[in-house]
Amino acid sequence: MANTTTKLHVIFGDGTLGVATEDVHYLFSYEKGGLESILSHGKEWLYRPIRPIFWRATTDNDRGNHFSEESAMWLGADCFTRCQAIDVQVDGEDLGLPIAPQNNQFSNDEMADRVDITFDFQTATTPATKVTMHYQIVANGKVTLTSHLQGNEALPELPAFGVQLIMPTVATGFEYDGLSGETYPDRMAGGSRGQYYVAGLPVTPYLVPQEMGMHMQTRWLTVTRQRTLNNADVDAQPFSLSVEMNDQPFAFSCLPYTAMELEAATHIEELPLARRTVLSVYGAVRGVGGIDSWGADVQPPYRLFADVDRTFTIQIHPGNHVTD
Amino acid sequence: MNMQADIKWLDDPQVFRVGQLPAHSDHYWYRDADEARSKSSSFAQSLDGQWQFKFADRPQHRPIGFYEPNYDTSDFGTIHVPGHIELSNYAQIQYINTLYPWEGKIYRRPAYTMGSDQTGEGMFSEAPDNSVGAYIRHFRLAPGLRNQRVIVQFDGVEEAMYVWLNGHFLGYAEDSFSRSEFDLTDALVDGENVLAVEVFKRSTASFLEDQDMFRFSGIFRSVRLVGLPTVHVADMHIRPVVNEDLDSGELNVTLKLTGDLESKARVHLTVFDKADKLIVDEKRPVAKQISFGHLPFENVMLWTHHNPDLYHLTVTITDADADPIEVVPYDIGFRRLELRNQVIYLNGKRLIINGVNRHEWDAATGRTVSMADMKADLQTFAENHINAVRTCHYPDQIPWYYMCDQAGVYMMAENNLETHGTWQKMGAVEPSDNVPGSLPQWREAVLDRARSNYETFKNHPAILFWSLGNESYAGDDIEAMNTYYKTMDSSRLTHYEGVVRNRKYETSISDVESRMYASPAEIRTYLSNQPMKPFLDCEYMHDMGNSLGGLGEYMALLDDFPSYQGGFIWDFIDQALWVTDEVTGRQVLRYGGDFDDRHTDGEFSGDGLMFANRQAKPAMQEVRYYYGQYDN
Repeated sequence: MANTTTKLHVIFGDGTLGVATEDVHYLFSYEKGGLESILSHGKEWLYRPIRPIFWRATTDNDRGNHFSEESAMWLGADCFTRCQAIDVQVDGEDLGLPIAPQNNQFSNDEMADRVDITFDFQTATTPATKVTMHYQIVANGKVTLTSHLQGNEALPELPAFGVQLIMPTVATGFEYDGLSGETYPDRMAGGSRGQYYVAGLPVTPYLVPQEMGMHMQTRWLTVTRQRTLNNADVDAQPFSLSVEMNDQPFAFSCLPYTAMELEAATHIEELPLARRTVLSVYGAVRGVGGIDSWGADVQPPYRLFADVDRTFTIQIHPGNHVTD
Repeated sequence: MNMQADIKWLDDPQVFRVGQLPAHSDHYWYRDADEARSKSSSFAQSLDGQWQFKFADRPQHRPIGFYEPNYDTSDFGTIHVPGHIELSNYAQIQYINTLYPWEGKIYRRPAYTMGSDQTGEGMFSEAPDNSVGAYIRHFRLAPGLRNQRVIVQFDGVEEAMYVWLNGHFLGYAEDSFSRSEFDLTDALVDGENVLAVEVFKRSTASFLEDQDMFRFSGIFRSVRLVGLPTVHVADMHIRPVVNEDLDSGELNVTLKLTGDLESKARVHLTVFDKADKLIVDEKRPVAKQISFGHLPFENVMLWTHHNPDLYHLTVTITDADADPIEVVPYDIGFRRLELRNQVIYLNGKRLIINGVNRHEWDAATGRTVSMADMKADLQTFAENHINAVRTCHYPDQIPWYYMCDQAGVYMMAENNLETHGTWQKMGAVEPSDNVPGSLPQWREAVLDRARSNYETFKNHPAILFWSLGNESYAGDDIEAMNTYYKTMDSSRLTHYEGVVRNRKYETSISDVESRMYASPAEIRTYLSNQPMKPFLDCEYMHDMGNSLGGLGEYMALLDDFPSYQGGFIWDFIDQALWVTDEVTGRQVLRYGGDFDDRHTDGEFSGDGLMFANRQAKPAMQEVRYYYGQYDN
């Protein structure tokens, strides 16, 4: 990790905010509404900006109990949620959206101890509700990301609430501290706590592709890749990025596909060739249910009602998991 | 025997077996002790392998008279026996759940359901959807079978068949999942014999075999010839009894013999325990029926899930010189099953069913499953604390029952019966065309299925429950099946879920309150209100796709209610088929609708704890955990 006495270098761009340490350079896109680049020692970690997610692929049980039909607007929200406002704070000073001419006052030597940037989203639901993603970067280069969903009792139940990092290439594997196997809120008694390594990005071969690969109660996670899309990068050494829990464990899945890709396929062989790593980190996920597959709902404790505010926080940094 | 085959039998629910030998126990017989030890009988000759085959899409296009030895078969192809006609690509593959496979194509109502004059004549014998397989197998008798009575055994043929040998008609059979046997002796010739089998995809049996599964036809289990020695044990009824003290017991054995019963041959019955200690040593002259009653046992080794101790029983028939004529081994188990105060006890302990429903399935060969498949499944059971299996919804291959005896797996042995499409329409109970219902014309057919199931498997300690069938509503005919089992067998319980659909039969159909997919809350309600019977889930935790959430709520019922006995997860393995992907050339698993089959229930057969390739789904670790918590 970077030396914690080092300050953050802040680059006040015209369409982005750059935040850099010796080891990592972040780019927040004002246009795309999120963190679009995590570049560490020449290795890019993001293919698309980090975004909030509300959907996990429909399971057979969801189909049977019509959950996806009832909650379909969250699929729209998952695909098309719009960033409406951005706010930047540097060392606690609120700069709003510091684009020209406001940023004409800065130089290439702007240093800070702390940068906060908040993206406000309006969900593509009726009624709409608000989601905020707040990134805080401190001098050691670690990002703390807090996502908040404003509850609204007029909205249907959610499949999930989380954030998604799509990485440019397929990971060689991932390691995590959490439960064995694939677990869900209503199916995790059999999971044993431990540290597990999963090679590659296995796709669980359900006859009809559906939600898969969830890992509940995770404390940290390290994804390792070996290839980049940078044409000038000939190095093949593995490199990693880690997600750490903040105050509460998180859930995640690490797959070569988005929920939309899974949703669209009727057979495994229809899934596209694996090209990316889709890391979805969740603060909350719906259970899978199990009483039957033609109507029985997931039991209430494992459903995500939309009338409550939901917040979760994770930390992201390049490199391996480090114990504090 | 001078019968003529009649194609109209396909239409008549009152004709379901013609010329067949009666069902009997599933014992194996050998020439001597060495053969018995190596489980290789020179009395048996397999007919599995390539058969000549001609497919016809409907009865009117079938090769008439193909069973004549001089019939010109130059336009016949081949097919592998055992196997499904559909998986040899002669006929279309179809998967459908409750609706009948002809849904929206042909209008049918089961004979006599719309009135006593509605006989259904021509419904199947003249049907354009009733494909026919003409099978021919040439054979010469193996030396071990010559100069004996010779029987042909068909372990499974779907759904109706006519059999000829050398042009002589031998008989007719329905009931796809029970063994059918015909006596060939009088039609045998020296040298080459021609066995001909005409298999129809549909008959009135189609109404009785509406299980949620791929709909296949053909000779899908093994076929063999067996020779009967001069004196032969045709049937054995072994009834081990454990006394109330759970320490002493007795054995009762009744043998039915055939052959030369006037000879000086003798019957020798021995039983050894697992430490090879001789417990029973009895000799009798041969007779048509011999009963060994009340043979006492002390310090009985009880058969249980974790200690499936079996005693080794052997019946040896010896000739006047005391040389063996026939050796019949059978491993037997002593266990005491009781129903007291709405609780089922096994050997004095409350029975807890950590069960699964298991269709016979192999993604490459369909319901033609191998010994390797069966061994793998039992290994999976052991690894995940699965202690019980329901043979949904038909009798399985015979070796599976022996393997469950040895592995200590409790069995619910189900009849081959499901008439789902005759009483449940789009989820609603609407039994106006239900069979068997209370129709006398359908009663004997279902009773015959019960008889075949009982007679074949009656000696297996693993079987704790006879199940009358699945999802067939309830009426006098199913009640008659229950009465049959109750008359024949006091050592086991009967089960039938459909009783909950028609409470009129509450006291006369099932020993247990059995439901499928009841929620934990519904079960709590039943068990909290002076239940009349113990409760079990014959199907629960529908594991379709990514499922099996909430198992803990069912397991908690075990703690709260002594009368809750557990259940059978639906189900063990996905039914899907290996297909070469038409785009990539890869081997992929396909499901209903992927064969242009309509109507279909699509991926609904993908509800196993295992994927169709026998890879465990992620949910299995939850089963392992909870079943492990209640391992008993």
